Order: sequence, then C-alpha cells, then structure tokens
Amino acid sequence: MILMMEDYVKTAYRDIKNRKKRSWLTMIGIIIGVAAVVSLVSLGQGLKDGMNAEFDKMGAEIIMIMPGSGFQSMGSAGSSLTKDDVEVIKKVRGVNLAGGFLTKIAKVEFGNEMKYSWVSGLPLDESKEIIDNMDSHNIENGRDLKRGDTYKTMVGNTVANGDFFKKKVRAGDYVMINGKKFRVVGTLERIGNPDDDQAFMIPLETARDLFDEPDNLMVIMANIKPGFDASDVAENIKKAMRKDRDQEKGEEDFSVQTAEQLKETVASILNLVQAVLIGIAGISLLVGGIGIMNTMYTSVLERTRDIGVMKAIGARNVNIMWIFLIESGIIGMTGGAIGCAIGISISKSIEYLSSAQLGVNYLKASVAPELIIGALSFSFLVGMLSGTLPAMRAARLKPTDALRYE
Amino acid sequence: MILDYFRFSLSTFGGRKLRTALTILGIFIGIAAVVSLISLGQGMQNAIDEQFEMLGSDRITVTPGGGDMSSPMTTELVAAKLYDHDVEVIQKVNGVDNAIGVLVRTTKVEYRGKSRHTMLFASSTDSKSIKFIQNIDYFMLEKGRYPKESEKYKATVAYDTGNSLFDREIKIGEKIIVNGRNLEVVAITKKTGNPVHDTKVTMPLDTARDLFGVEDELSLIFVETNTGFEPAEVAENIEDALRKDHRVKKGEEDFTVTTAEQMIASFKGMLGMMQAFLVGIAFISLLVGGVGIMNTMYTSVLERTREIGIMKSIGARNIDIMAVFVIESGLLGLVGGAVGVVMGYAIGKTTEMIVVASGVTMLKVFYSTELIIGALLFSLIVGSLSGMLPAIEASRKNPADSLRYRR
Repeated sequence: MILMMEDYVKTAYRDIKNRKKRSWLTMIGIIIGVAAVVSLVSLGQGLKDGMNAEFDKMGAEIIMIMPGSGFQSMGSAGSSLTKDDVEVIKKVRGVNLAGGFLTKIAKVEFGNEMKYSWVSGLPLDESKEIIDNMDSHNIENGRDLKRGDTYKTMVGNTVANGDFFKKKVRAGDYVMINGKKFRVVGTLERIGNPDDDQAFMIPLETARDLFDEPDNLMVIMANIKPGFDASDVAENIKKAMRKDRDQEKGEEDFSVQTAEQLKETVASILNLVQAVLIGIAGISLLVGGIGIMNTMYTSVLERTRDIGVMKAIGARNVNIMWIFLIESGIIGMTGGAIGCAIGISISKSIEYLSSAQLGVNYLKASVAPELIIGALSFSFLVGMLSGTLPAMRAARLKPTDALRYE
Repeated sequence: MILDYFRFSLSTFGGRKLRTALTILGIFIGIAAVVSLISLGQGMQNAIDEQFEMLGSDRITVTPGGGDMSSPMTTELVAAKLYDHDVEVIQKVNGVDNAIGVLVRTTKVEYRGKSRHTMLFASSTDSKSIKFIQNIDYFMLEKGRYPKESEKYKATVAYDTGNSLFDREIKIGEKIIVNGRNLEVVAITKKTGNPVHDTKVTMPLDTARDLFGVEDELSLIFVETNTGFEPAEVAENIEDALRKDHRVKKGEEDFTVTTAEQMIASFKGMLGMMQAFLVGIAFISLLVGGVGIMNTMYTSVLERTREIGIMKSIGARNIDIMAVFVIESGLLGLVGGAVGVVMGYAIGKTTEMIVVASGVTMLKVFYSTELIIGALLFSLIVGSLSGMLPAIEASRKNPADSLRYRR
C-alpha cells in the first residue's frame, strides 16, 4: 500500500507539473480563500486572548454591578445605580469590599490647550483596595491618590507622555478639569487601551462635587471574601438588590457579572462576529473548491485514454480513483500551505499597524499550531472532496470506451 | 459578425456543459453574497433615515460638551451642562423658529407596587412649546392630551411604558410614582420603533426640576429652523451666538450643535464602514470565481487550438479570435451574475423574514435598480477581464502550429 501511495503521489505530481498554468490558477483560488480565513481566525483569536488578558488583570474575584442590561447599556442608559446600592451590596454575604465609580466625559485643560476626556471618580475609602489589586493600576511616577485627597488627579500614560496634550503632564503640574484646578499627584503605567490611557482619575467625593452628582454611580465593583465562590456571591448580590428594588427575577434593571462571566459575554459577542466574518470568507473557499472540481473534471477528460490504458493492463477502479483523489488533495493542500503563510503575514501586518498607528495593545495575531494544522488538513479535505466526483467518474469509465476516446 | 462570435462562443458551452456550469457556479456564489449583503445594508440605511425623519430633517440638536467625544448619544455622560439662558440665546438667532430645552434623567418609575428604571424627558408645557413638541414624532400622542401649562403633576407615558413595561397596562387617569412623587397619566405617546423613546416617561419641565432639585439646567435643546433657511447655516449661527455668549474660542466649545443631516451622516458612516468591510470579504469569493473563469478559458483555448488554426488559415484576424474568447468569458460571468442576483435577492428576503419574525421590525431589504444593474455589469466585467489573458494567448497562436496541434 505504501509503495502504491508513492506511485499515486508521483503520478499526481507529474500531472500537476504538466498542467502548470491550470494547476497554479486552481491553487490561487484555494490560496486566497485560506489566506482570508486564516488571517481572520488568527486576528479573532488574538482579540479574544487580548480581551481575556484585560479581564484577568481585573482579577477573578471581582464582581461588576452595572446599570441596565450590562455592558452595552453602560453610559447610554444613564446611571440607575446609587450610593444606597453600594450599602446594600456591602451587606451581602461573601462580599468583602464594594465601591462605586462615577465616570464622565469632561473638559480638561493644560497650558493653553483644551480637550475632552474621560474623568473617573475613584472611591478612596477601604474599597480602594479593589483598584490597588488590579494589574492595570500601576504608578509610573509620583504617588497614588489617597484618602483625604481633594482636587488631586492621577493621569493616564498617554497624558503623561505628551501624546494627549502637546506638553507632557508631570506629577506636580496643575490641570483644569471641568473648570476647576487639580494638582497632578501621579501618572499611571501604560494600560494598552486608548480610552483608559487618556483618562484622569480623581477622588470620588471630588467628582460628586465637580459634576454635581450626589447620588448616581456609573458602576459598582465588589470583591469577595476568601473561601467564597464568585458566581454564588454574584447571585446573592442580585437577590439583595432585587429585594431592595422590589423587582422580580427577570425584571432587573441592573446586571451583576463576575469577571469570568464578563469574559464569557465578551467572548460570545466576539465569537458571533468572527463566525459571520469567517462564514463570508468561507464562501471563497467554497468557490475555490468548485475550481478544483472543475480542474479535476478537465483532467479526467484529458486523460481518458490513459485511464483506458491503465485499466487494460489491470488497474482496478479504486486505483484510478486514488490517483485523482491524491491529485486534487495535493492541489488543495499546497494551496492551503501557501494561503496559510500569506494569511499569517496579513494578520501580523495588521497587528503591527494597529499597535503602531492606533496604540491598541490587545489586537495580537494569535497563530496557534492548531490553526495551521487545521487549515492545512481542511484545505486537503476541500481538495479531496472536490475531487471525489471527478475521481468517481474516472474510476467508472469503461476501459473499451476510454481507449476509443479522442 | 458579432452574432457569429456569439454563436461560436455559445457552441462551446453546449459541448462542455459540466465545466461551464461549475464555472458559472463560482461567479454566482460570489455575486449572491455581495448582492444580499448590499441589499441588507441598504435596508438598514433606509431604516436609519426613517428614524431621523421622525426627529425632523430641518431640526437641530444642541447638546452639552464639545470635542470628539460628545454627541447626542452621550449626553448623560458629559459633565458640561446647558441652561435656560442658552435657549433664550438660541431663540434670538437668525433663522431659528423655535427652541425648546429638554431635561433628561434616568429615574425610578413605580406603578402598582412595581418599579422600573427608565428615561425621563421633561419639557415646558406652554402653548408654544407644546406646538413644537407635537410635531416631533417622538412626542406624538396615541391617546389622551398634552398637560396644560397650569398643570403640575401630570405625566405622559410612551407606548411600551404603558403597554408592556409593567405587568399591567397603564390607563389614562391612573397614577404612577416618579422619584417618589405621584403623577397622573394624561396621555400615551405613539410607538416610534426607537427603544429609548418607546419606554420613556415625559412630564412638565418645572415639575421635573422640582423632583430632581435642579435649578435651570437642561440636557439638550431642540431647535426648529424657519422655512427657507438652510439648517447647516442656522447651526453655524447658533454656534457663533453660543460661543459669544459663553466667551469661548472656536474649537474650545463646551457645547455641540448637530443638524439632523450630520447625525444621519455619522450613523451612516459607521454602518457604511461595516458594510464595506463585509462586502470586501465577500468580494474575495468573486476574485476566486474570476480565477476560475480564467482557468476554464485557458482550457477552452487549449482544446480549440485546432479550430483556432483553421479560423486563422481562412482569414480570421487576431482581434477576431480574441473577441470570440472574451465574449465567451464575459457571457460566463454575466450568466453567473444573473443567477447570483436572483439568489442574492432570495437570501436577502429570507433574512428579512427571519429578522422580522424575531421581533425587530426595523429591517427591510432594499433592492435598487442600480444594485441589480451594477451587479450584472460587474460580473460581465469580471468575466471579460478574466478571459483577457487566455484570449490574448489564443489570438497570438501561430496558425501552422495550431493546425498541427494534437491533444
């Protein structure tokens, strides 16, 4: 069988070489399709990995309480969370600390420049520990905000390194936020998310004054006591808030999600988007497969007499079939290999462009070995499947008819 | 002459039915994908147009905050505010017919012991304001009446607020509790298809200011332009006036003036980009289909080498041979395109049916004549271009060699 296989491959190789132009054109079809799919999959996977890393920075024991039905309605639905909710959440069994955040888009001025950016009020009571434990909250220069601070601010990395305002903002400088003077006490390390990196952090109480929002909060974060399960505690929080708001299950106008659940929500959205994109890109693979089928039919037709000769000297149907199947499989796989290489270089260039031009850190092309192996075997399979019908036709040819064919 | 070309081209299709069918299949799949995506996208754009027409195309919206990040979408997130005084300033601007300030809040609404958080829109109830409001689709009444200027604790509920937000239907004359105060429901607004406006509650501005303890602050200002004025120009006038009043330089505004036109444009821009991306990916399959046509044509040229030799020896010029093959490949593309357009139509309609069945009534696929003609023309071009190289090869064949050629 192994010897036979070698012969099949040799025959296929010879035929592909003899019909160079046609084989190349057929392969181009597969190359384009595979390149599109591979680049989309690797970028999609990379985006998912990046998002997961962002959530991991938050820590697994974090629970987020958001107004409305969650992520999507944050901001647009306004805030239906208040100070009282923080108190309710603090009393829930398993909750260690809970703190609310108030975030606004506000006017910021430095020197004689004026811009708009995110301004976030952070709680500085004991619940500040939640932020301290996050990987994304690392001081680069100066100090962190601390209890008792008023009208002090800590700025994101883009602001500090001079990409936001024309001049660099250093610890000790003064900036105007919403018309009030703030002293910069520290700067943060780069987070990799353009919105976060240009943000201004101020004490929550100052934010309440500044924005005239005595009650409302944009999001509440809680962490859990050791020994408790995050999703259980999240359920408890939901129950307590429902009771407090007199709502029944399914009627909530807030959402409680653990870091793990947030990850899943984002992943499921990304998966859907990716599935649509790959589905559309997959169409070109289908068309490429049809191209292979077409080439193979032509190939069978052209070699009708050869088939007759082979059959006359004792080749069985299955031998003939294998010759053509292997040929179409090789076309598919070679196309797949080249397509893989092109696809990976496309996604790597996009990764480079997005981090160099847009400052986006989380779009990394992820090239898993599974992806390469998968793409290669898939393209081999596409080739083989497209070759099946032509190969069957070749195998069924009657030797006498085949020999008579002109 | 042309007819002869066609006849000759068509004769090959008959002889190589399977190959022709497969080649056409390649093009038709791509065209079907592109046509269905474009028609769905077009349908969405039309839906957006409809939404904005509800707001009125000659209307201008003024929102607090400036810069790239402020827009009517983010009013509640922006720290800057607008005030009654701004409305007065705007009313004096040349070309402004009327301006009305609206206070927007997210609030708790209670009805028969159940509570929900929803958006509250509050505006003045003097006769001039009511006249303005009743022309905006978002505030048109299904039943009931607008509150009178003298009435304080009256509310209007939106269609879904009244019908499905709570377990029981809210009837006119019943009481709801907003932010702890009892209000009598005097009207129910029409269904708009916009989820925010279908679940809102409206009440007189003064009452809302009482309830929320705000003095003269506003969330947004709606402006109606006088007939005969260009909204874009009026918008600039408003910007000038507000800049002067707020004493800020150009580029440092703490407010944003948006015409309905601009709002549509920014929405459509986003949608258009998304659509372009999807159609771009779908185009890849058309490219692959084109390569398929090229392949088929090379084979066809090879198979008809002897015929080419005969034609040349009885006087066919290079250009004639070329025409034969370009027409053949163009026809392959065109037929594929035609089937693809029909298929794409079917896919788009099916998607529309599924979307409508799942409850979103916004989507209606739209087939413009341009789309159909464009798709057909494009597939013809793809076919002809793909056939170009094989046709050139065919036309350059040496007659003597060609006659001698044997498969």
